[in-house]
Amino acid sequence: MKTYLKLSFVLAGTLVAVLTGSLVAPAQAKDIKLLNVSYDPTRELYRDYNAAFAKYWKEKTGDNVVVQQVHNGSGKSARAVIDGLQADVVTLALAYDIDAIAEKSKLLPAEWQKRLPNNSTPYTSTIVFLVRKGNPKGIKDWDDLVKPGVSVITPNPKTSGGARWNYLAAWGYALKKKGNDEAKAKEFVAAIFKNVPVLDTGARGATTTFVQRGIGDVLVAWENEALLSLRESGQGEFEIVVPSISILAEPPVALVDKVALKHGTEAVAKAYLEYLYSPEGQEIAAKDFYRPRLEAVAQKYADKFPKLTLFTVDALFGGWTQAQKTHFSEGGTFDQIQKANR
Amino acid sequence: MKLKQTLLLAGIVSGLAFAPAAKADDTTEVIKALRQQIDALDQKVRVLERKRELDRDVSTEAANTVPRITIGNNGLNITSGDTNFAFSLHGLLQTDSRSFFKDGGISGNDSFLLRRARPIFQGTVYRDFDFLFVPDFGGSTVQIFDAYLNYRYQPWLQLRAGKFKPPVGLEQLQSDAVASLNERSLATALTPGRDIGFQLWGDVADGRLSYAVGIFNGVADGRNSSNADFEDHHEFAGRLFAQPFKKTSLAFLQGLGCGVAGSWGNVSSNSTGLSNGFLTDGQQTFFAYTNNVVALGNHWRWSPQAYYYYGPFGLLGEYVISDQRVQRSVGAKSFTADLQNTAWQISGGWVLTGEDASYAGITPKHPFDPSSGQWGAFQLVGRFAELDLDKATFPTFANPGVSAQAAQSWSVGLNWYLNKNIRINTSYSRTDFTGGGASKATTAPGIVTRQPEQVLFTRLQLAF
Repeated sequence: MKTYLKLSFVLAGTLVAVLTGSLVAPAQAKDIKLLNVSYDPTRELYRDYNAAFAKYWKEKTGDNVVVQQVHNGSGKSARAVIDGLQADVVTLALAYDIDAIAEKSKLLPAEWQKRLPNNSTPYTSTIVFLVRKGNPKGIKDWDDLVKPGVSVITPNPKTSGGARWNYLAAWGYALKKKGNDEAKAKEFVAAIFKNVPVLDTGARGATTTFVQRGIGDVLVAWENEALLSLRESGQGEFEIVVPSISILAEPPVALVDKVALKHGTEAVAKAYLEYLYSPEGQEIAAKDFYRPRLEAVAQKYADKFPKLTLFTVDALFGGWTQAQKTHFSEGGTFDQIQKANR
Repeated sequence: MKLKQTLLLAGIVSGLAFAPAAKADDTTEVIKALRQQIDALDQKVRVLERKRELDRDVSTEAANTVPRITIGNNGLNITSGDTNFAFSLHGLLQTDSRSFFKDGGISGNDSFLLRRARPIFQGTVYRDFDFLFVPDFGGSTVQIFDAYLNYRYQPWLQLRAGKFKPPVGLEQLQSDAVASLNERSLATALTPGRDIGFQLWGDVADGRLSYAVGIFNGVADGRNSSNADFEDHHEFAGRLFAQPFKKTSLAFLQGLGCGVAGSWGNVSSNSTGLSNGFLTDGQQTFFAYTNNVVALGNHWRWSPQAYYYYGPFGLLGEYVISDQRVQRSVGAKSFTADLQNTAWQISGGWVLTGEDASYAGITPKHPFDPSSGQWGAFQLVGRFAELDLDKATFPTFANPGVSAQAAQSWSVGLNWYLNKNIRINTSYSRTDFTGGGASKATTAPGIVTRQPEQVLFTRLQLAF
């Protein structure tokens, strides 16, 4: 028995030595995959950003990172993650959608928004109008969207985060114009939706409807989406109309802790989100028409973004939880408007 | 008069002059109205087409939520749209023949048999919970071989509960469908077969190290547990296995794996504790304890093990020690001893058609299709194994005249993998014995150990 014990210890020791040696031996560069589940219009942003982050990470660690993207209306994307889509990170249109993921699936903590600067929003945007060249219907402000004969394109607030920002921007304008009268604001927004011929599921879909399918007179859109359409149309087919007042849209980003832990990608996923706040990340955001948070970059690109009066969801609606409950939940004001408009 | 005529003329002239202009205004208005109508209709058509597009997208998405059913060389698989639920049906069918040569007139040995006939039910519920249920209809009795639930908290931490193979023998842990020869080696005779218990296990360090530690009912060497062994004492089993070069660029070392496994228990009952005897490759008993011998006390096992695969070459080896306290009562007297049996084996193979060999089996690159000149994959295999019984076993606990004190077995064979599902084996095994072989014995083990065992195996296997 003693001989076998000795032999056993020798063998166990050899095994440990071999294993330790292999663990410290230079290993091949790791190939890491991340899944970023995002909202609809961020395709160009993350195409550019992912390439930059991969280069940065390769230089820093030697590992290869490939970031796969899934884009959908923000609400749909959140639903997909709750239902099991294995996102390492989410970059959605509004905090409420990430709160829903935290609450329903417990994949990340409830206080996720405090983990990154500026309430986890590395860039902001707002809502503007995109009209056809020459602005044939003379759209100048929100009031023009309710006129008869004006066809308005906006996505479905039930599925699209951008659509919810649009809706609240219109509601906020009406509140300010009509002395904080909620009933009149509801009438106003109902009149806008009466002029909406088709509801896409996401902001990019609405842009496709307006720009490529040639439907509608005015697209109520993310500022970045409108600016992108201007750049890509190339032939001056569209113009941007900046309303007198709009909403400050703050699309947040978050690590999906349990999924990243399961995949072993926690460190790189955290770095991926943090790099959005770096000078390079902020430059990429600005070039793709998102308003950067970093002051130096914001100054550099100040002339790209129109100046307008902005209000926040917190100030006018008491935050996203309240806004969601009042307007977009089952039987909320949007449902009432749709029912009345049928 | 003249004035009237002049005025009349002036009226006629001006009427003639302005009539085309008025018609032109009407036409312009009509055209403008028509254009507006056309624009409105155009918008309506575009809206209808866009709505159709969106409806198609919704239908496509809905189609993605329906369950997916696939059938192929990996059996029947059904997966829910969200992939959280899955069910698979696989199967293993082995039809063997055994032909013995110069067996000293042992009758009833040569046979065709249904060695294994197993439907394999496998699945996942709620994404992280896997199950496996495998009954076996081969042989003469129906048995449940595997029946367990596995919770995957993380790849490095999983919990398994039910009936399954304890983490000890390297060859034992290899799937029945991919073992290179028809029967497992003499070394596996000292390892536990399937047992009932709980096990924590996982893969760490990016798959370079796997561990398993469990508590089981305890089962005799080379035996499977029944479904309800009532035993106050339990057996602990554990294994560490490393593939240290798996993720390195050293291709010729990536297939090296080595580890160590063991078990320890304290048994007090013969039904679970002591082996009924040891079998040759031809499944004949060459060793049996005498009557009234029971396991009573500690039973530990220890097994260093390794394998190496590189391209078409594969090598597997293990050494097993099984140390068990036994007792024999004869009248008022009692004899006890710690009997330590040892065994080892080394087996190798070469895939003649160049496919990669692996612990998990071989997949032919060119499945059998004679019309296309494709013949599947061929593998040459060989094995040497030895089992040594503790000398203290004889004569108190086993009859040296009938039971062998040692057995050495060597085998060579050719495996033909027609495709991923069908395989044909043929092999020859010879086992020589030390001790035993009393000339008057008419039953095993004595009749078996009288001469070397020589047996030709063939097998037709379907696995999916």
